[in-house]
Amino acid sequence: MANTLRLYLTCIRNTLEAAMCLQNFPCQEVERHNKPEVELKTSPELLLNPVLICRNEAEKCLIETSINSIRISMKVKQADELENILAKKFLRFLSMRAEAFQVLRRKPVQGYDISFLITNYHCEDMHKHKLIDFIVQFMEDIDKEISELKLSVNTRGRLVATEFLKQFI
Amino acid sequence: MAFFSSGSRALVEILTTLQSAERPMPVDHTLFEFGSIRYHLLASMTDSENVYLSISTPSLSYEASPSSGLPEITLQETRKMYHKFAEIIEPPKEGYALTLKLNFSGLIRPKDRIKAINKISLLQSVILSSQLKDMLGSLGSSGTMKLVYNQRDPFFVSKTPAKINAIFPMRFRDDTDLAIASSFFQELEDLGSESSSFSRAPRCSWSPIPPPELRGEYVHHLTTNGGFVSFDILARHVKGRRAARTAWILLNFQSYVKYHIKCTRGHIQSRMRKRLEIMTEKLQKGFKAFIDKIKRLRLRIRVKGLDRFRRQYFQCFAVPKLTMAQKEHKYQKLE
Repeated sequence: MANTLRLYLTCIRNTLEAAMCLQNFPCQEVERHNKPEVELKTSPELLLNPVLICRNEAEKCLIETSINSIRISMKVKQADELENILAKKFLRFLSMRAEAFQVLRRKPVQGYDISFLITNYHCEDMHKHKLIDFIVQFMEDIDKEISELKLSVNTRGRLVATEFLKQFI
Repeated sequence: MAFFSSGSRALVEILTTLQSAERPMPVDHTLFEFGSIRYHLLASMTDSENVYLSISTPSLSYEASPSSGLPEITLQETRKMYHKFAEIIEPPKEGYALTLKLNFSGLIRPKDRIKAINKISLLQSVILSSQLKDMLGSLGSSGTMKLVYNQRDPFFVSKTPAKINAIFPMRFRDDTDLAIASSFFQELEDLGSESSSFSRAPRCSWSPIPPPELRGEYVHHLTTNGGFVSFDILARHVKGRRAARTAWILLNFQSYVKYHIKCTRGHIQSRMRKRLEIMTEKLQKGFKAFIDKIKRLRLRIRVKGLDRFRRQYFQCFAVPKLTMAQKEHKYQKLE
């Protein structure tokens, strides 16, 4: 792993560890309802300051915390047109299968590529450190997968071009 | 990419079956290939030695050959190539451009027959290449012509005294197709220019703006999202037998690109699916191990012989049945 990426991921991990202290908190607006406050944003006293961690302009992570939920939004590196399309395609593919991940949001927050929503119930069912591990691992995997996809598309292109030119010889 | 082989596999199969049959068998088949090429095969019980093969191909350019039927040069080429075992029937079968009477009885060795059948399967590429040759001849020393092989994707052939340029305006459905094709064109351009192993192949260039040869063409022909790919065809690429092959490769270039895009999209999709499986597996494994651990902790403490002791205890001391007592107690209606 590149040194800058390690630092970036460590920073995200530490922030998540600090931010992920969630507790059950019923909705203040609607009786007998329990809603993620980070999504509704109805009571400012229940929200904490959002934290934005940037590796560069193209890669950043926004962590929004509230009393009973936390929202993590990520923007993935897209160096060129091909990477941009592959990233969009892959993240859309994952978002459409969000139920497999439980904590993945179907629609990312505006300006970001993918978002997670973790509630106090997720923290009760799963383990906090496991969830953080999963988020960090997910970020690593996404980067790796997009690079590999790009490489494989270019390799295929080269092979097919070779086969095409071979026909003339 | 067997899909783009110039020989018709269906023709080979039918003719081989006919030749290897012990008894003469009647055949009356109509086949379609590549959407617009139509074959008709006819063999009867009475005239078992002769097989009638008719073919209809769309004209490459409506501007160049508005009249029906094939140009004389195509008929000459066909006669030259198949004179040993075929003759052209005039006029051709109704609705077809050319009809051949095939007679393999002159070829005694089975090896020769197989060779002849394979040659017959190339009929379409022979017709197309000779048509192309005829059109280029009609252009004179220089000029540009629009050709339509696939209805949706016309392309241009420009002729100069030194070379022929095949120019393909590339249009794609969406951004993903465009990105995959761009990577392919880049590799095609690089391979042609850098490596000595492909120095004999036509030089390929890819540009987002139309090349100067297309100056004066209609704007809607020059509106593309994938740019223009052009191949420089020199005299050595169309020398002798190579002409048919080169023409066939170029006529199918757009289909080749589309096939590559389709396969790459499939590859990306399957890779993403695999990655999703790995990710969810990791997630499930991590959480499952943790939940199992909690379940194990919350289990009742098991003491050996406790069940036996409990049974004995209840036998010794009869527990009063509370349910009966509850039944006896009734509410009394107040008056």
